[in-house]
Amino acid sequence: MVRAHGAGLRRGKNDKMTTEPRTYLSDMRPRFDPFVIECGKIPAYSYHNDLRGELNSGAINAAEALAILEDMLVIREFEEMIVKLRSGAYDPIRDYNYRGPTHVSVGQEGTAVGACAALRIADNITSTHRGHGESLAKGTVALRAMSEETLRARVPGCRANSREELLQAALEQHVYRTIGELFGKDDGYCRGRGGSMHIADFSVGHLGANAIVGGGVPIATGAALASRYFGDGGVVCCFAGDGAYANGVVLESLNFAAQAQFTNHYANGRPFGLPIVFLVCNNHYGMTGRADDEVSGVSRLAQRAVGFADNRMHAEIVNGMNVLAVRDAMLRGAELCREGKGPVLIEADCYRYWGHSLSDPRNEYRTKEEEAAWKAVDPIETYKKELVAAGVLDAEGIEAVTRRVAERNASAARRAADAADPDVKDVLAFMYTDTKSETVPPQFAKVETYEPTPESKRVNGEITYKDALREALAEEMTRDNRVVFYGEDVADYGGAFKVTKGLLETFGRQRVFNTPISEACICGTACGAAMRGLRPVVELMYFDFALMSSDQISNQAAKWHYMSGAQTEVPLVIRASAGGGKGYGGQHSQTLESIFCHMPGLYVIYPSTPADAKGLLKSAIRDNNPVLFIESQLLYGMKGPVPEGEHLIPLGVADVKREGSDLTFVSWGPVVHDCLAAAERLAAERGVSAEVIDLRSLVPLDIETVVRSVQKTGRCVVASAAVHIGSFTGEIASTVQQLAFDYLDAPVLRVGAKNGIAPQSHVLEQAFLPSVDDLVAAASSIL
Amino acid sequence: MVTPIVMPKFGQMTEDSAIVEWLKKEGDPVAKGDVLFLVETDKSVMEVESFSEGTLLKIVVGVGVSVPVQSVVAYLGEKGEKVPVAAPSRPALSSTPSAPVAVPPLRGGAPVAAAALPVSPPPPPAAAQAPVSATPARFRISPRAATLAKESVIDPRAIAGSGPDGRIVEKDVKAHLAANDYAGLRVSPAAKSLAAKEGLDLLALRADIAGKRIEIADVERAIAEKPAPLSKMRQVIAQRLAHSVVTAPHFYVTVEVDMGGALAHRARLNAAGARFTVTDFVAQASVLALKEFPTVNSSTDGKAVRWHSRVHLGVAVNLEQGLVVPVIRDAGEMTLAELSQRAKALFDKARAGGLAPDEMSGSTFSISNMGMLDVENFTAIINPGESAILAVSSTVKKPVVRDDAIVVRPIMKLTLSSDHRQIDGATAAHFVNSIKTKLEDDALWSALTS
Repeated sequence: MVRAHGAGLRRGKNDKMTTEPRTYLSDMRPRFDPFVIECGKIPAYSYHNDLRGELNSGAINAAEALAILEDMLVIREFEEMIVKLRSGAYDPIRDYNYRGPTHVSVGQEGTAVGACAALRIADNITSTHRGHGESLAKGTVALRAMSEETLRARVPGCRANSREELLQAALEQHVYRTIGELFGKDDGYCRGRGGSMHIADFSVGHLGANAIVGGGVPIATGAALASRYFGDGGVVCCFAGDGAYANGVVLESLNFAAQAQFTNHYANGRPFGLPIVFLVCNNHYGMTGRADDEVSGVSRLAQRAVGFADNRMHAEIVNGMNVLAVRDAMLRGAELCREGKGPVLIEADCYRYWGHSLSDPRNEYRTKEEEAAWKAVDPIETYKKELVAAGVLDAEGIEAVTRRVAERNASAARRAADAADPDVKDVLAFMYTDTKSETVPPQFAKVETYEPTPESKRVNGEITYKDALREALAEEMTRDNRVVFYGEDVADYGGAFKVTKGLLETFGRQRVFNTPISEACICGTACGAAMRGLRPVVELMYFDFALMSSDQISNQAAKWHYMSGAQTEVPLVIRASAGGGKGYGGQHSQTLESIFCHMPGLYVIYPSTPADAKGLLKSAIRDNNPVLFIESQLLYGMKGPVPEGEHLIPLGVADVKREGSDLTFVSWGPVVHDCLAAAERLAAERGVSAEVIDLRSLVPLDIETVVRSVQKTGRCVVASAAVHIGSFTGEIASTVQQLAFDYLDAPVLRVGAKNGIAPQSHVLEQAFLPSVDDLVAAASSIL
Repeated sequence: MVTPIVMPKFGQMTEDSAIVEWLKKEGDPVAKGDVLFLVETDKSVMEVESFSEGTLLKIVVGVGVSVPVQSVVAYLGEKGEKVPVAAPSRPALSSTPSAPVAVPPLRGGAPVAAAALPVSPPPPPAAAQAPVSATPARFRISPRAATLAKESVIDPRAIAGSGPDGRIVEKDVKAHLAANDYAGLRVSPAAKSLAAKEGLDLLALRADIAGKRIEIADVERAIAEKPAPLSKMRQVIAQRLAHSVVTAPHFYVTVEVDMGGALAHRARLNAAGARFTVTDFVAQASVLALKEFPTVNSSTDGKAVRWHSRVHLGVAVNLEQGLVVPVIRDAGEMTLAELSQRAKALFDKARAGGLAPDEMSGSTFSISNMGMLDVENFTAIINPGESAILAVSSTVKKPVVRDDAIVVRPIMKLTLSSDHRQIDGATAAHFVNSIKTKLEDDALWSALTS
């Protein structure tokens, strides 16, 4: 065992490791000798070059310089189309009724194009609700870099003869599919499922705009985590506005990205900072609130970086109205990332000409003089002058480009307006994917282990629920190196409940690591990593904490397959450990699956036996849908027979745990065992034969097994440990009465916890939770 | 503009009414005064006219559903106008037609049964209400048991329920089938399917034909014998008369009247072109007698007496659908001719089904004449709200003793039914004899008909 000593505020040198040490024992000492923390300097507006200088130094060529203008014009033309559409003033489609958002980014073209011009096709971006410009720019830049073959595939049926013609067609197709998405058309990038605020084009590395302010930032961070893991040289540019930099999950993401363990001795010879550039698009208005001197306490948002990394994330402030300055900063930032020196933070100082949307008159919070001053440094007009000054284009040339862009956009708009709407019968298409990881591609099947997998001691073929879970994880991590596992205290410590003890030693810290106590970021990064090809399993120490990450679970992981029009899958498993019955009180005892069952796009699984725990977890990890996998702390120590080796239980199949003819108990999780006990008592005391169905999987729901049973027995009690109000038991009961009404001999009853908050007191908690007595009483009342 | 059309409130006490027929369809043009629909009240069928013109946009309440008065039953407006999405009115007691006027329906305890109306969300439970699980007391059967009963073509109403709250559950139906040797039941498939369609009970059918195989003819016979709901009018009759018999102790006093003189006057008048009936004469005599006996023209509920200063005379009329009692208001103020004309007008109206509610209520004394039906004698049941009723039998030629000699005279029996709470035997005897005396008073009729 190699031990590294590094603790305290001022950590020493990085210990270089070539083999995987498994655990580090902290050995820090109290040190209180006075000293001063130096926060260092953050450069602002340090770009002093111009186009002529860039051309002369070979940092850019004429074609690239021209493309920058054209790409900015594409955005300007696009955004002005939206403005004009609102008043019927856009001539090409004067009568088209656009009914989506109008978060236009006129004025920010320099930032969008400058940043994207520095990226490669395979690099990723995430964007925002004001992301038309970034979405367009990532595409146009990528298209120009594409091979003829790739371009041809993007414009099916195109009869272009030259690459230039093909490129023009591809550019028009790009604008067409972007407008189409805004118009909700089937040819839109997300097939009309996403729209303006959720547009994505995964084929050029665009992982999605995001209508939750800050919501895309952990996704970008997770994508960078995947890039780091795969070592593929990819960089993520995370666009987010000044408003987002007050949002919790954004600050959590900065912290997550800058973790020391990615670059110090914990990295075990593979130190590599997360390759992500946090590009703060500071247009100075979070909707209408001002970051500058109203809703934050730092004078410049770049200062945020100081709080998260000793190297200040190489933070700098650039003139976002100067496309070349942004491009220059982004090139340097991306290069730092490719060298493993990320993360990087760049604040681009820019301006939003219009209001938050077209319904915002702007005059309630800023002056016309301010607007005029910013328009005087318009990124496009400024850049045109540079082009002329550098001799790349003359006024006529600029006129020609402008006309070409306008005509191309108009043609795309006309096509988009006339394009087919999605078929209404497909309203739920793309909600879930039916694919799973059936076979592991060879490059991912090669798995390095450092120690034998932790062994589960079988006695008469039995192991505990906890061991079964670890066995499942270990088997899946051995099968597929894309399966990584992280969460709070899961590495050295093996998790709060020791479910994963030993996995770090076996698989090493690249695949098993601790995270900050940052649940939103744990789930959000897992979502981004899953989009980029990892198959993360993450742990929430208590199910209650899922509420901390509810946006990332419900708005992000659950929705992206659908909102992207099935461009991406999100194969991730969130293991949530449910308390209750242990006297831990209101914030550590909740059974919350009902809330997440209400979120379409998410699978919700809850095993009740060791064998189910293993079989379902393995299936969940192989499934390409996001899965909320709930474990019961009460059952961790429960023993039962569990098959060794490959043992898969399909998701969405209920299990009859006990057969009976007079009454059906439907349940899941630990309450299944209460139902079994109640069934025994009913048999002994009343001669009643009760059937017990363990749903195992709430989404997808196997209602057929339930209905078949109720058709046989005529009576049904649905039970869970969740508080009664709004419990998923209601959904089951209602569905049963709908599908099996004529077979019912009594009303369907529900048993759950009281409509209250889990108390600390043991006697109160016993009274609060459903019991075997409650189940027997409910059953007796309808027998 | 869309105008709602509401169920009119026909009588002071009417709470619910049902439409028996719509004369306009949705989309039909409607002129002011057009009859929109017919309503069966507890006393008659009423025509409801439109107050405005337009197009019948939507019928909200169909035929046969009893709804509270003032409920919206339809919408009138311009063709193509949108009809407001209003919560439909609460249907009242749709399984049986609504309660009669005299006995207000039991509010609160009455179940609200599902009807052929769009389902409106149930009203939120009152704060103080008992747990939601408490369904109102009613015939309880589980869906499963109901399905088995339906599949077995038996009526589960006779089965005792063993489930919670006495609900019939599957095992009760099974026990009932076993106890009645359902397995041994022989029935032709056609008979079974017809019986199922008509909601008959195969076990009852078998009992009716002494255990033989049930054939289609047996089912058809049973269909013919199947109880049908009473018409609203008959239900009112049933309610009111049963109420009277139960609450008012009846006793009867009969007298024989020599109608010779009266009939002679009538013949004379009729020969002159007027059309007087025996009823007119009896009515006139009764009105005069009532003025002498205010006790008989009064009523009681057993606690208080209501004295009526005016005579409103009810005269029972037999119609095909049942009995109605048109009321001759202020009969005491009328001449014989006026009385006769008013009675005739009311009878004609009654036969046409067109009596207004106020023409059928408020009588203080009634006459029921079955003279044309060849009856020796009968007794009548007092109308609620009155103290006596006079039953008028056929006039029959009979040998009677006059001045110690047997002569043949036209004799008519009058039987007065009296409410003993208000009227004693002697009063009844004096009253009925007063009528008799008047009918036999030749001078009186001469005076009245001159």
